[in-house]
Amino acid sequence: MAALPARVGIGSSPRKRDGAALLTGRALFLDDHRPEGLLHAVVVRSEVAHGRIRAIDTAAAAAAPGVALVLTGAEAAKHAGPVPYFIDPAARGGNRTDIRCLQVDKVVHVGQPVAAVVAASRHEAQAAADLVRITYDVLPHVLDARAAMAQDAPRLYEDWPGNVVAHNRYGSGDPDAALAAADVVVEGELRIARTTTAPIEPRGYLASWQGDRLTVHASCQNPHQLRWMLSVSLGVDESRIRIVTAKVGGSFGLKMQGHPEETLVALLSLLADAPVKWVEDRRETLMAGAREQVHRFRVGATSDGRITGLVNEIVADIGALTAQAGWAMPNMSATTQPSGYAVQDVRVELDIVCTNKPPCNAARGFGKDAAHFVMERAVDLVARELGMDPAEVRRRNFVREFPYRTATGLNIDSGDFDGLLDKTLDAVDYAGIRRGQAESRERGRYLGVGLGFELTPESSDSPGTFVSGFDTTTVRMSVTGMVTVLTGVTSPGGGNDTGIAQIVATELGVPIEWVELVQGDTDRCPNGFGNFSGRSMVVGGGSATLAARDVRAKLLAVAARLFETSEVDIRDGIASGGGRELPVPEVARALLTRAFAIGDIEPVLESTRAYKPGNINHVPDELGRIQPYPTYSSSLHAAVVEVDAETGKVTLADYVMTHDCGTMINPALVEGQARGAVTMGLGSALSEQLVFAADGSLASNRFKSYLLPRAGDIPLLRMIHQVTPSPFAMHGNKGAGEAGVGGAQAAVANAVEDALAPFGVTVRGVPLSPPNVLALIDEARP
Amino acid sequence: MRYTRPADVDGVTAALADGDAVVVGGGTMVVPEMTHGRVRPSAVVDLAKAGLAGIARDGDGWVIGAMTTYTELARSNVPLLATAARGITGGPQIRNRGTVGGSASYANPSSDVPAVLVALGARMRLARRGGAREVPAAEFFAGAFRTAREPDEVLTAITVPDTAAAPGYVKFKLVEGSWPIVTAAALAGPTIRVVLGGAAAAPVVVELERASWRARLRSEVDRLLTEPWDDVLAPGHYRARIAPVIAARAVAGALEEA
Repeated sequence: MAALPARVGIGSSPRKRDGAALLTGRALFLDDHRPEGLLHAVVVRSEVAHGRIRAIDTAAAAAAPGVALVLTGAEAAKHAGPVPYFIDPAARGGNRTDIRCLQVDKVVHVGQPVAAVVAASRHEAQAAADLVRITYDVLPHVLDARAAMAQDAPRLYEDWPGNVVAHNRYGSGDPDAALAAADVVVEGELRIARTTTAPIEPRGYLASWQGDRLTVHASCQNPHQLRWMLSVSLGVDESRIRIVTAKVGGSFGLKMQGHPEETLVALLSLLADAPVKWVEDRRETLMAGAREQVHRFRVGATSDGRITGLVNEIVADIGALTAQAGWAMPNMSATTQPSGYAVQDVRVELDIVCTNKPPCNAARGFGKDAAHFVMERAVDLVARELGMDPAEVRRRNFVREFPYRTATGLNIDSGDFDGLLDKTLDAVDYAGIRRGQAESRERGRYLGVGLGFELTPESSDSPGTFVSGFDTTTVRMSVTGMVTVLTGVTSPGGGNDTGIAQIVATELGVPIEWVELVQGDTDRCPNGFGNFSGRSMVVGGGSATLAARDVRAKLLAVAARLFETSEVDIRDGIASGGGRELPVPEVARALLTRAFAIGDIEPVLESTRAYKPGNINHVPDELGRIQPYPTYSSSLHAAVVEVDAETGKVTLADYVMTHDCGTMINPALVEGQARGAVTMGLGSALSEQLVFAADGSLASNRFKSYLLPRAGDIPLLRMIHQVTPSPFAMHGNKGAGEAGVGGAQAAVANAVEDALAPFGVTVRGVPLSPPNVLALIDEARP
Repeated sequence: MRYTRPADVDGVTAALADGDAVVVGGGTMVVPEMTHGRVRPSAVVDLAKAGLAGIARDGDGWVIGAMTTYTELARSNVPLLATAARGITGGPQIRNRGTVGGSASYANPSSDVPAVLVALGARMRLARRGGAREVPAAEFFAGAFRTAREPDEVLTAITVPDTAAAPGYVKFKLVEGSWPIVTAAALAGPTIRVVLGGAAAAPVVVELERASWRARLRSEVDRLLTEPWDDVLAPGHYRARIAPVIAARAVAGALEEA
């Protein structure tokens, strides 16, 4: 590898390539695209949680000013088939239903799309949408997953045996025997309330047809999968569909495809014979759930703090079923247990349950966050039962030999969990906090410190789906020496384009300014899978490396021919050898304009390569377990809180995250991602909650009722790095960007319980909002 | 929809005479409501040019124009009101747009201004075509989003008498982005008055003796706060539970200054 100035090479933090455009408001997002003749769509949504559609009267809407089209589900079904699943539950032994772009017969949640209006302006479309009259035969609804599991519960999908999508069991060994033999067994409950992702830019799509060719600009994460999905639902060959992802203002999983509006907007454009755009209203964005689970667990341990067995029953409420990937997240809540602890006797029972609420869509953490949270609660409860320090119980249970096969079949590639713990305890001054705690309690101040450990499996590959563990990149050098990188991974705003450019510049030995990135255009980029599961730098970076090395090899061959020596090098954009130097553009031009003079070197300065990391194994073992993740990032979080025992308000005093994602390509971008994930975890731990009224309508439908943390609520999130390179990824880098949600939730929950130890409080769920904390204190009072 | 932006109070009262208009001050409440279609007025009267901004001394008190922004209030030395204005979150956009008159007229239970005005013994100057009247703040705030203002009236100014009592103000929010859950505006003079905001649909006035305030506060709040405000952010029983705590903190703050 050529040496480069430290400011752009791997491990340095050059500025985000699009930072200036973003900061100055010049970046173009989906809603900035306004082609000639553009029409605007508004979706008419169900106002009942469960009902049969009896009649839809569109006459008044169709006659309203500016209206071009009013579409109902029955009419839509004549032109478009069901939306194909990202991950089909039937392929996993579960129940499925056809997902339509507009409901035809029945609605199963408030907010489900029933009709759509297209008009000359958004306001006209909204005004007309308000005139659509829908009559329902209202059916009983169920909003709670446990209630939905009852035999006589209202049935969302009548051809199913119940409301359970799937019941799965994970684990190995004999946990019942382990618990029976344990010195102590502690039981616990963890209720994780429904929260959401809330990207600053909501979802949106702009579809336009040119003859029989469809172009969709989309605020989405996975343009190639979206192209396939539209091809299936619309019955149009992929070769006639182009997806372009504009600049994306945050995704967090929400913008993985499978939403009804994707097919809907393409269909509206076809039927209106004009470009049609739809952008979510914030109230629509807030319908999307990110997580909602209840865990009931028992954990056994020896008297010296070694955890010997775990049994956990999870009920995951996913709302209505969706073609999006979100319904599958609870599987990862199960398989990521018991995290990075060496416990082989484990049984996790999982029920994925539908209720009459909007679907849970994919969300950062992808269910893994819940696994971390419940394990960290279990560890703290064991520590409390044994009178041991929680840090010490973690130390007694960490996995130390790698690779390590977990009870659910995951193969942890590498890590140094003791190192994480040491660094975190040191940075947060754990011993000092413990010393000061007693004194502050005497003064009526309730300070607490809590730990949260995360093992984050990343860069998933799910066989038979478009959850892909590889990706593809083209590196192309032009005759001017400028480099175009076309990659299948996309950036939701986190900056992987900058990271990939760093890698390509480093591998080629050219200035980073020469490197242009093209992402998110299915007509230009090679086949790929976009961004999810912390994959972009592992497989996007890996494939870019391979392709860049091919191009470099070609440049070196040409330079060797020109310099008449085999000792050649390229760095800083200059080829050198035999005492001569030539700028790389001249080498490129030599090959591409004097190919015959140069001789038997194939005149192509371009390479397309796919990168498949190691450690993925889809051959089921004797327990039927597969190993879908190449890398496992890890982190250890410490939260310091003060609790106002009179109001229940929790104030964060300090926060430390020690993060290990192996080699960091761009530490500043890693930290940006980690701070975002931690903040998401802190929000769900302390203030965020989607609240539904009894009729199934969303009560927290704006940012004054859905309380995201603001800057003033979050202390400086202190970041410490540990680098344990992955042996299975190109540069030793592991997935980054997801880690932080569950660790933050756990650290805060454990800190609050620690702060309120004088009251004997046991935390059983989040958010730990002031009313909930005060209720905990009241409940613990004698 | 009719939109007018009168150049003086007479123009405003003329535009309001039909009683069907929505008055826009800084627009931080009404404009989002209209954007989302929750309010669909047939007429909008914009006070931006009506000359209603500014704080002036008048004898033994202040006259605060209805269009005075939080930013202006925060820079003033009107007791309690300046403190409350400094605690308004939402950034310069909100503090530069939001007005004291708008907040008072909107009468959101979960807001700072109503309880502060009641604590100060403020009087609300209302104008209508061909007439004007003054209403004590304690009578002006009639309930949640309800005031004594008639549809053909506009709040033009608020008068605040000078006070020798020591002020104390505490606002409790769940997080920075939440509405206030409970606020307490205290004035400690020969006797103590503390007015709770957010706790009920309208401000709750608690009068206490200096000697016995700590002993009496909780029972007085419990007695007066019979119907605590309840919303998606916090249940009524929680507000009732913390109201005495927040009130006590405000009084303690006032007495430390005294």
